[in-house]
Order: sequence, then C-alpha cells, then structure tokens
Amino acid sequence: MRTGIYLCSCGDSLPELIDFHRLQGELSRLEDVAYVKPVAYLCAEEGKQFLENDLGQQRPDRVVIAACSPREYERAFMQVLERAGLNPYFLQMVNIREQVAWVTPDISQATSKACAQIRAAAARVSLHQALIKTELEVCRDVVVIGAGPAGLRCALALAEAGRKVVLVERSPVLGGLPVRYEEIFPNLECGPCILEPMLGDLLHGPHSANIEVLTLAEVTGLKGYYGNFHVSVQQAPRYVDGELCIGCVDCIPPCPVQVPNEYNFGLDARRAIALPFLGALPNVPFLDARACLRSSGAECSLCRDACPVDGAIRYDEPARFIERTAGAVVVATGSALMDCRGLPELGYGTVPGVYTSLEFERILASNGPTGGELKRPGGPSPRSIAIIHCAGSLDERRQPYCSGICCDYAFKFNQLVEKKLPGTTILHLYKELVFPGKEEFSIYQRARRNPHASFIRYAPGRLAVSASGGAAAVQYEDPAGNRGREVVDMVVLCPAITRTEDGGGLARILGAPTDRFGFFQELHGRMDPVQSRVKGIYLAGSCQRPMDIQNAVVQGMSAAGYVLSGLADGRKLEIEPITAQVDDNRCSGCRVCGAVCPYQAIGFQPERGQASINALLCHGCGTCAAGCPAGAIQGSHFTSEQILAEIEAVLA
Amino acid sequence: MIEVQTSPDSLSVPHTFEPKIVGFLCNWCSYAGADKAGAAQLSYPPHVRIVRLMCSGRVDPHFVLQAYRDGADGVLILACHAGDCHYQEGNFRAAQRHRMLLRLLAQFGIEEARCRFDSVSAGEGEKFVRVVSETVAAVRALGPLKRPAIDQAIPHSPPPE
Repeated sequence: MRTGIYLCSCGDSLPELIDFHRLQGELSRLEDVAYVKPVAYLCAEEGKQFLENDLGQQRPDRVVIAACSPREYERAFMQVLERAGLNPYFLQMVNIREQVAWVTPDISQATSKACAQIRAAAARVSLHQALIKTELEVCRDVVVIGAGPAGLRCALALAEAGRKVVLVERSPVLGGLPVRYEEIFPNLECGPCILEPMLGDLLHGPHSANIEVLTLAEVTGLKGYYGNFHVSVQQAPRYVDGELCIGCVDCIPPCPVQVPNEYNFGLDARRAIALPFLGALPNVPFLDARACLRSSGAECSLCRDACPVDGAIRYDEPARFIERTAGAVVVATGSALMDCRGLPELGYGTVPGVYTSLEFERILASNGPTGGELKRPGGPSPRSIAIIHCAGSLDERRQPYCSGICCDYAFKFNQLVEKKLPGTTILHLYKELVFPGKEEFSIYQRARRNPHASFIRYAPGRLAVSASGGAAAVQYEDPAGNRGREVVDMVVLCPAITRTEDGGGLARILGAPTDRFGFFQELHGRMDPVQSRVKGIYLAGSCQRPMDIQNAVVQGMSAAGYVLSGLADGRKLEIEPITAQVDDNRCSGCRVCGAVCPYQAIGFQPERGQASINALLCHGCGTCAAGCPAGAIQGSHFTSEQILAEIEAVLA
Repeated sequence: MIEVQTSPDSLSVPHTFEPKIVGFLCNWCSYAGADKAGAAQLSYPPHVRIVRLMCSGRVDPHFVLQAYRDGADGVLILACHAGDCHYQEGNFRAAQRHRMLLRLLAQFGIEEARCRFDSVSAGEGEKFVRVVSETVAAVRALGPLKRPAIDQAIPHSPPPE
C-alpha cells in the first residue's frame, strides 16, 4: 500500500499557522506513506492539474489531501483522481484550515492536531474500497393520481415532454373541485372557463395521445420502487362507451330513478344515468349501477332505448383491473372539508339553512341545484347570510392550523352575494383574517366597502348556531367578552381543509407517510414540499397541505419537473455508491434496520428471513449500520472498520 | 446541557493534563458548524479530534466505547437540531443511543461529562466553540480516564466485518 499525502498551504497562509516541516517529518515516518508533498494552491486550476499529473507519475494506491473543508472541494478532487485513473473513493480529505489552523492560535498545538487528523485519514484511506456508481434502466412513464388542477397541469406537462401518462381519477368527471365553482377568487373567473382549456388539451390536444385517462378508477396497489413501479388500478364500469357516446344526453330524461346527487352534495337529485353536472367533462354520462333498477332485477332499458348510437350503452361492461409500469407516481388527490357534523355547535345538519362552503359554491353555480339562483334549494332567497370563517380551524381540539384560503373565498362570497341579491345583509364572523398574495387583500377591501356587510371577530369556542323559527340564530362573543346575537336566513360555514375522505387509504397503499394532520408528508417542508418521503412518489396540490389553485398548479408543474430531471430521457438512473449493505451471514432478521430507516429502503425477504437494502432508495446515512445489533450492516465508505481505524489513529 | 462535574480526584490532577477527546460530527450540520467557527477564525482548545460521519445516526455505540479503549478521555457527539436532520431523524436515533450509552457508561464508572451529546447547526460556529470549550474543561476537571478499568470493561474486539 502506497499512500500519497498532499498538504495544501493555501498560498503562504497555512505554514504560518502549522509547522509544515514538522508535519512532513512526522507523516513521512508513517507506515504505508509513500510521500508527503506541500502544494501552494491545490484548488486552483494549476493545482488540480499538478495533482492530476503527479498522481499519474507517482501512482499511489490511496490519496490524502490536507487542505480546507471537504464540504467545499472533496468532489472536485475526486474528479481529479478519476481523471488520473484512480478510483475517486480512494481519497480522504482532512480539514487543516477551518478546523485546525484558523482555530488554534498555538502553532505547536495546531501542528499536533493536524498531524493526528492526517494520521487518522491515512489509516482510514488504506481501508477504502473502490466504489463504482451503478446504473439502472428505468421506465419513464408516469402515473398521476387525481385530475384536479394539480394533476391536470402535471399530466399535460409530462405529455407535452413526450412522456406516457396514466391519469387516474376516482370520480366520473375531470377538473377536481374548482370545476364546480361558478367564480374563482381573486378575479372572479368562472371555474370551468379556466379549467376547460386544460381539459380540452388533455382530451383532444396535440399530446393527448400520450395520456391515458381512467375515470371512475382508483389505485389499489403499488409495488417496486423509483424508476420501476408497478401500479394496480381498478376501474369501475361506466356502462357508457366514451368512444361511441356523442354526448347528446338523450339517455338521461327517460330514467325513472331519482337519487341524491352527490356532485351537488345531495342538494338536488339525479337519475341513475347522469352527468355529474351540466358541462362536465368527459361529456359522457355514467350509469350508477347501485341506483339502476336493473341491479334489483328489473328489465328496464329506457336509457339504452333512447340512445341514438347502437352499443354506446353496455349493461354488461365489466370492471377493469389494470396494471401499469411507471418510473414515478404523482399524488394529486386533493383535499376535503372537515365533516361539519363534528362541529355540533355550528348547527350543520340540524339547523335549517346551514351550508358548507362547497355546498354554497354549488348554490351559486348556474349548473348547480338552484340553477344559480341564490336561495335555499326548494326554499326562499335569503335576506341575511352569516359567513362563519375558521370553522374547526385554529382550534386545538379540532384542526389547529389555518387553512389559508377560506378568507379569500369567504370575501368572494360577499361579492357574489351582493351581485346576485343586492342589499343582502352579510355577517362575517372570524377568528383571524389572512390574505397573503398580491391580489387577495383587494377582495377583502372590496368586501369592506359593501355597506351591507359587517365583520365580527369571535373568540375561539364562543360561537353557536341554533334554530330560530325557520331561520338560524347566531350567538357569539368577541375576544373582549362582548356578546351578540343575530338571526339570519342562511349560514355558510368555511370549514378546515383536511385530507380526503379516504381516511389515508391511498397513503397506506402507496406506503407514503402522512403528517399528524393526515396530509401526505413532504420530504422537507420548505426545500422539498413536492417530494414525498418515498423516492419517486411526488405530491402536487392540496394532498400536501391546504392550498389554492395557483399553488396547486405550480406544484403540479414542479412534480413534472422532478420527473423530467430525475428520469431524464436517454439517461439511466445513477445509484450513488455510498449505501448500506447487509451481510447475509450475519443478519438474523430482527428488522431493527427497517424500523430505523427513514427512507423505507430496507425490505424484509420472508423466504430468507433477512433484510435487504434497496440501493436506489438508500441515502447512505448509516443509521441502520449503527442500529444493527449483529453488525450485519455496513455503510460503504463509512464501514465500521474504516471508522474504528480512524478513531484509533486520531488518538495514537 | 451536561453540567461540568468535578470529582475529588480533579484536585490532585496535575494542571498539565491535556485530555484527548474524539468528536463525532455529522457532515451536514455540526461539521459545517465547525467550518463556520473556522471561517470566523474563532479560537478554541485543540483537544477535540474530529471524525466526520454523514449522519450522527451512524455513531455506533461501539465507536464510542472503542474511543475510550483507544485512549480517549472524552467523546463528543454533535448532531443537527431536532427536526433539522438531513436524513430526517438520524439525530433522533443518535440521541436515543446516547441516552442508552450514558446508562452503560455509568456501569463502567465513566462519568456522564465524558460523553456529551449536543446539537450544532451549520450556522452555529459560536455554539460549536462553546460546546467544545465546555467539554474540554469538563473532561480536564475530571482528569484522565482510569484506563485499566476501561480495558477490563471493554475488551478490544475486532470490528465486525
């Protein structure tokens, strides 16, 4: 073993602080050290060129560079080793500048410390193993789950880049929640109007051939890992063939069945064969098999009889079980409103005229249950409305966070109410007001100018809604203890935004952790909000946290960017060699390693009863190596042998 | 923070005792904090010899015991702050293992102040200096580790392959 040591003097500065002559003398006497060379500026281009040439001439087996912090130049010097024909991992750097020379006033003490640190590096580097980056063939297709603004933006961007995308949507309609809103803050554009260009591109645009749209479909299984996922999707039959259907909706009126329309939150009824609402895309009705008379054995075929296209309605269409391979998965499943039945003091479900904000959006929508007339479905128009902000939010017992978008839409409601029913009294009751953003404050200012609106701050837990004749009585107490009571015709609750109603089912299927609120957990809250804790699974939109449409589409685009840069065309996936490895001869299958791994990189092979590490998912932290009670896991480049040799030599 | 302990022995320890301390630093926070102290040219005692690991979660209790066996009078484990770990929760594991180590070391008669765990962020050069200075002072006050007892308690075993 011949180790070459290079001492960078950082110009002339370090030899004034460390005795390089003494250092050279002591280090030259070490076993395996072939030479010790001072160099003026190793980091300069000439320095790196010198190093490359010198390594070529000296042909050392291992290299130690004592210079500045490896955090700055280690990668640069590794490249020099590579150019000189050495394995880049045959290098160990010692930081004699920031961690010795600059912090130790006494030159003799500094020299001793530098000597010990370099000695340790030499002892360690002699045990370094040649490591090679491995490459893996990957699938570049993507599965996007959820066809709201985030999922749509992501799927379209990927398709435009030439990627095959499978877009999995649980409902029969594309566009997510905002496609059901008549007007969207801050500029009161109509929801379908801003989404339809994207939907049009998705269904019939120049890149639509790259997108497989699966409505009424849910992901039921995920196997594999980044670059090579196997996704199982179950698609319920629509019973109407999207290829044949011409969208005339002649099939709907003859249907004799009436059931509550879940797409209008049960505020009106729909037929067993239906469109979720007028203008829903794809413009293909779906047949609700559970509601259809045929499910109870009746021989009804009124919808098929009315259909002008032979074979468009197929009662025998089976469910499909679809398997797709994908390199990455994007979760864009959105969020839900907190179930307001859990806020009994606010009267939802018990006091007439109390609606959630989503229900109110549909009441305002021209394709909604009232045809856009502002009134209780089947009832009169209100002369007074209370809008209750922060319902279930900012509440330690319910949801402690601020959902961030409710104030925006609540003041949008103010504007829409004034437009539809001028003169209606509007009462805004809030715990806190927030409107970050460059447009949002103007919605509030506009509401403040509404002469029929008033604004009352209520103390947490000091608000109740009760029935008062056919109306609702709102009782409140402000933070100063002043009490008030108003009787209104309608109450709109702005509930906390929570995870979707699936109760974390998808998160369990994907193996992607959720946070304490039930939202998908990001890799890093600030620096990596679009990556989940599982490599190759990305988060877009309000499945990660409550957010508005703008942020959701930004995240959708961001997720597409992660996919395109991580699974780039024409490039294999590189696996960094600093990973952990299991020694099968020592592993007893206790699974401690799997429990401490933050990346789910360690699997358990039941047939062998042993752990196995997926190098692609491993980040090389070494927590498993330290946790293994049998010493069966080694972190490459940070093996116990190497570290123990370093400890021994640094103390010698 | 671990308080500086003084044992009766410390009075008889010659003033010239220069302790040897091994500092296990994680690459992303505490090692960067040490770099920060260097960039600010803050001076501190030279007794802590640094072993860089990618994560404090890599600190195998075996390394700590071996450090004592190899002649260390003290050990310093410096991690990221809670919630700041580059590897999500390695610092949390390191903290757990440190608590376990303290119980073990007590049985060997090794004082708590000889094995300090702390958090230093990449920006906390001054804290790094303070923690190192306090640890050196604490170990100096305790005097040299009683080597024969340690050699008996921790047999010199070959590292696991």
